[in-house]
Amino acid sequence: MNRDVKNDNNKDAMNNGKIDEKRRDVLKLMAVGAAITSIPLVDKEKLMKVLKPVKLEGMLDYPLGGPSDSQSALEKRAKKKEAKLKKWCQKEARKVCEKYGESSEECKLVKQKCKLLVVKATPPKKGVRYAMALDLNKCIGCRRCVYACVMENNQARNLHIEWIRVLEANRMEFQDLLGSQWYYKEGPKKDKVYIPIACMHCEKPPCVMVCPVRATFKEPDGIVVIDYDRCIGCRYCEVACPYGARRFNWKKPYIPVLELNPNMHILGNVPRQIHVMEKCTWCIQRTRDGGVPACVEVCPVGARVFGNLNDPNSPIRRIAEEYGLFVLKPDAGTHPKFFYFFGPARTPPREGAASTSKEAQNGGGSK
Amino acid sequence: MSWKDWWDTFVIIIKDGFKGSKRYYLAMVGLTLIFLYGFYLWFFIQHAPVFLHTDYGGLALTGMNDSDPWGLYIAFFIYWVGVAAAGIAFGVAAYIFQDKELLKIAVLGEVQAVAALIIVLALVGFADLGRPIRAMFELPFLPNLHSMLDWDFIVISTYLTINLVAVYVTIHYYRQDKPLPKKFIIPYIVLAAPFAIGIHTVTGFIFQALRARPIWNTSLLAPSFVATALAAGPAMVLLAIYLAERYIDGFSVSAEMYKKIIYIIAGGLIVGLYFTFSDAQEIFWYTTEPMKWAQARNLFYGLHLPYLAVLEWIWISFAVAAVLLSFIPSTHRSKGAMAFIAILTIIAVTSEKTLATLVPGFTPSTLGEIRPYHPTPIEYGIALGVHALGIMIYLWLARPAIKAVMTHYFKPGIKTATVPENSAH
Repeated sequence: MNRDVKNDNNKDAMNNGKIDEKRRDVLKLMAVGAAITSIPLVDKEKLMKVLKPVKLEGMLDYPLGGPSDSQSALEKRAKKKEAKLKKWCQKEARKVCEKYGESSEECKLVKQKCKLLVVKATPPKKGVRYAMALDLNKCIGCRRCVYACVMENNQARNLHIEWIRVLEANRMEFQDLLGSQWYYKEGPKKDKVYIPIACMHCEKPPCVMVCPVRATFKEPDGIVVIDYDRCIGCRYCEVACPYGARRFNWKKPYIPVLELNPNMHILGNVPRQIHVMEKCTWCIQRTRDGGVPACVEVCPVGARVFGNLNDPNSPIRRIAEEYGLFVLKPDAGTHPKFFYFFGPARTPPREGAASTSKEAQNGGGSK
Repeated sequence: MSWKDWWDTFVIIIKDGFKGSKRYYLAMVGLTLIFLYGFYLWFFIQHAPVFLHTDYGGLALTGMNDSDPWGLYIAFFIYWVGVAAAGIAFGVAAYIFQDKELLKIAVLGEVQAVAALIIVLALVGFADLGRPIRAMFELPFLPNLHSMLDWDFIVISTYLTINLVAVYVTIHYYRQDKPLPKKFIIPYIVLAAPFAIGIHTVTGFIFQALRARPIWNTSLLAPSFVATALAAGPAMVLLAIYLAERYIDGFSVSAEMYKKIIYIIAGGLIVGLYFTFSDAQEIFWYTTEPMKWAQARNLFYGLHLPYLAVLEWIWISFAVAAVLLSFIPSTHRSKGAMAFIAILTIIAVTSEKTLATLVPGFTPSTLGEIRPYHPTPIEYGIALGVHALGIMIYLWLARPAIKAVMTHYFKPGIKTATVPENSAH
């Protein structure tokens, strides 16, 4: 009966030259429903192909983020910056010479600095993968690496920016950084372990992931750098970094020209501007020219080892084979390239082990 | 429907901003002064080194530091994104169900979204950002599609555009006493609904995917943002209607509509409270992550920052109170009581979705440092200025919108019919 009634209605509708909207809607819904329910029946391999994540990496020149500036553009920018800095340096030099006299040591030093001043844009070497390791048994928490880093990298003297933080932690649960502190005044203490922390130059850096303008990126040689001319100062990278490695210029940074390091890299220690982020670059101005970072050079106990992971003869590979390396917060999943290890000898030595300490300190460690 | 009509609508919206009672003028002048003071603090003091190349100033004047990189600005950014997202619930519901009472107030939700989003953009794009001019050029041309902040800018600016268009179209049709055309409504629903949920979800994603901040590292963060947004946004709309009824002659909404809004608020609060409860269970019973536990202790007990615990417990207690009050039948008869529930809800959500969400992630910070964050006067001043701007825009757009709605829905004949509903008051 019902059907007949419906048909009649339909006929009426047809006769009136109208379309039965309700019936159409039901049909549409049925079609959509059929399409949705048929999804599980689709060939799974085909579905996998459709659902394959789009690879953004291929669209960009660099694996993650990456600079939009080519090498030549970077060099041009470095040249411009150099000219600007030289002008500034000469202006400051005049002031210094007026203050101390033309023949003073300071005046000569400043003039030499202005002459030596260079802003490089050295590109990464091919086939190089830098890494650093630190002997927690040797580190005495003297903070000399921190001071060397400040001097080498032209860090603002008025903002107390230090790229390296040395944590003092208990020898029992040292990996639980919650109990550590970096405001210690005396050291080394026998029951403490000292953990210098700086940028870990992670393999999967969260800071690079979150930067909204690609101002920070990972270079092919493994160094994570910041383009200071592009940073917009949103501080998202600082929020995302699990190692607290990044520092922000909250005020206008100031460096006295007498303390300026004239050897600069455009992505490294060129004097910063206000409201930009900065962090450790493994002294890019030194390492790209074949040197080692300042902290490695200055360490009085030789706790730091720096080298090329791809080179089987590099010191870092030897350490890895000899002692094994570990990283802090491995659960963060960022795969740091800054490793820690416990070497064979301890400074200061354990109590009762004083007789062997000299041998150990000399780096022998042989039993 | 010529172009001239559209232009006339624009002129009417602009002109209406300058017409009004003495009270309106006073409010506008006061808000302008507050906004200008905030702008002065921002341009000539906080960002002076960027714009004027001075030696003084800088973000160092705020309470933020390398341990707490984000502060009051981002905290209120979270809150206003929520308010903006929920305003649309009315628009979409009204156009889908064609409920006449809902249609009357739908435009208020859209105006609220516009004002809230302008506060959001001013906070995150200008007040908080170190170098806003660079950002203006770089964000469109150098986007990093891995960054949730970029997605947030995309969804927020799109959503703002959608809502501006919606407000404009609504005023245009209603002021001529015409119903909204279908060719506007359908694209609007299809576009606005996902973006409304999207803006708050993406804001949640900014925070929740960070392994560095364990207390945010829960997949409940974005859903709980949406849940509390669905409480705070409608509460704001309810309060706006309540005030509009008092101050605009002839504008009235039935108590039934109030009741519907209270249902939405109660639902949002219950889900939000449930998420808080679920997070607390995860942290205090089984978590083996010392950092998460330390941060949660700061949040719930206020070990190093007592105000955090105060805010968190205000959220819990006020939200519970609002839910219980909304269950009592006698409150449904009084518009005043329902407005009170809305105020309770707004206080509860403002407490939680600002500093109580943000600051625990930074105390203790990633290396275990505890440096308590306290906002400084300059932060309060600039935040206040931004809010004054938002309220100004709200007043500016809401008045012509309500006027247009009244020409369409409150015709002299119908007006008397709505009066008896008021008697329940």
